[in-house]
Amino acid sequence: MTVLTDRKKTKRPQSLRSRAWTRSLPYLFIGPAMLYISIFVMIPLGRGVQLSFTDTKLINPQGGEPIGVENYAELLTSERFWNSFVVTVFYSAAIVIFSLMLGTLSAVLINRSFRGRALTRALLTFPYATPNVAVALIFLWMYNQSSGIFNESLAVLGIGEVGWLGDPDYGLFSVILATLWKVTPFVMLVVLAALQSVPEELYEASRVDGADVLSTFRAIVLPHLMPTIRVVALLMTIWSIRRFEIIYLLTGGGPVETTNVLVINIYQQAFQSQKLGMAAAIGVLGLLLSLIVTVVFFVVDRRASLAESQ
Amino acid sequence: MKNIRKFAAILTSRLVLIGFVVVSAFPIYWMFNTSLALDSELFGTGQDFLPHLERAGDVPQKLEDVGIFGLLANSAFIATGVTVLSFILAVMAAYGLSRFKFHGKGISGFVLFSTQMMPEALLVVPLFALFATFGLLNSLTGLVLANTAFSMPVAVFIIKTAIDKIPYEIEESARVDGCSPAGQLGMIVVPLVLPSLAAAAVINFFDGWNEFLFANTFIRQQELWPASVGLAQFMGQYSTPLSTVMAAALLFTLPAIVFFLLVQRQIVSGLTAGAVKG
Repeated sequence: MTVLTDRKKTKRPQSLRSRAWTRSLPYLFIGPAMLYISIFVMIPLGRGVQLSFTDTKLINPQGGEPIGVENYAELLTSERFWNSFVVTVFYSAAIVIFSLMLGTLSAVLINRSFRGRALTRALLTFPYATPNVAVALIFLWMYNQSSGIFNESLAVLGIGEVGWLGDPDYGLFSVILATLWKVTPFVMLVVLAALQSVPEELYEASRVDGADVLSTFRAIVLPHLMPTIRVVALLMTIWSIRRFEIIYLLTGGGPVETTNVLVINIYQQAFQSQKLGMAAAIGVLGLLLSLIVTVVFFVVDRRASLAESQ
Repeated sequence: MKNIRKFAAILTSRLVLIGFVVVSAFPIYWMFNTSLALDSELFGTGQDFLPHLERAGDVPQKLEDVGIFGLLANSAFIATGVTVLSFILAVMAAYGLSRFKFHGKGISGFVLFSTQMMPEALLVVPLFALFATFGLLNSLTGLVLANTAFSMPVAVFIIKTAIDKIPYEIEESARVDGCSPAGQLGMIVVPLVLPSLAAAAVINFFDGWNEFLFANTFIRQQELWPASVGLAQFMGQYSTPLSTVMAAALLFTLPAIVFFLLVQRQIVSGLTAGAVKG
């Protein structure tokens, strides 16, 4: 401490050169990362936005003609696009709601100490570490209509075969289930870290008051977790809007487009229909959706933290 | 009465937890089980619930035959490249964001965050064009460059959070002693945030290891496929036995599980270790 106050007293006016150095210093640290993202994300993004106003085809990526907002006009009246939009919103909402509920529940259950806790937590973390492609492969096999474990188990119970990935009534459900398996542990780990920062005195106080587990959770633990849960909800939403591998490898958007989320639609337009301009336009609209969610989140988050601090 | 209720509550929570564990671990177990089954069992007589451990000896040869080791080597190359490149960029950026006030700080944070909502599928097309111009298609270096752009921001968030917790006074006193900003970062901050750096490195490594979309689109040459693309291709062609595909998938998965478990502990200790001692 004394060193600090001494320093303040002896502070000399800085020379012009050292002031310029001090001022540019933060940019030297942040600059390389910003430059990198500009080259590999922002410039391609700009090019993508530009492409969305052209009729560029895959066979001649440099040769598209500007066609104004035609791609967007076509999309907004296209049933296929609106189907993708609705599927994306439904898929994301289901992932966010169920991963938060199940993730928070498992974090709460594992937060107390018991024998075998480390092993339990490790086992619960497995899915989070499993690569998406491996997740898709094992679920493809488990969902297999004639020989997969799910239908084999149903057969034992005397229930007929279910087309987990082939039946339009089940496709989206099956994709959501596989995704939840993969992402819920992330919620658990983050909520668990937040739970461990709940002061022990708070629990003690409520125990003295004779409150039961559920009301302790609602009155004390949940408010403490809310800021964390809101951030996780945002991440889960925007990650769900852009999730590709699991859906692409499980159903490829089928059956009958019931799992055709926006990113799958982009990929199909670009590499199957070869319409790069149209694909870019869907991408821009998908990005807008994520942006709107993010803005809404920050507004809600600010209001909620204000309300909580009162 | 109260004891009975307490007992019932504990019993319920245990049962629910056991249910969660079974659901989490079963698919991995089933991958393992399937890798030791014969196709005639899988698609005919039925898969046994217990693994045929006596067949484990055949697995290495089967993996060798489908060339999984070459695929994994490509994945490891991409993952290492992503980790190194994004580590350098992220440590500097995290330090800059944590320790300085400057014009454009808010926008820098937003730009980093925005990469998390960017659909890669949208960027695949313009990146494809960009890479074609610079000869980066069909190149593992190209994949390193593309993947780093999405992995590095996550590392920045993790490392910045860790640096935020270190009191500035330590660097301040080093500065007074004539330590340069780079020296403060390298000699004081970095050693204090090692657990978070390890966590960030593992997350970045497996981002590169797992990535599928860019690899599937940019790489046409089979020798350059990473394991993610190779495995997806195996599944499409019926010439590869399912047991071999599952054994390969397990080999692809295990390193990720082991390393995530390792850093998970380091993250927890990093959180609880407290900021400064003395």
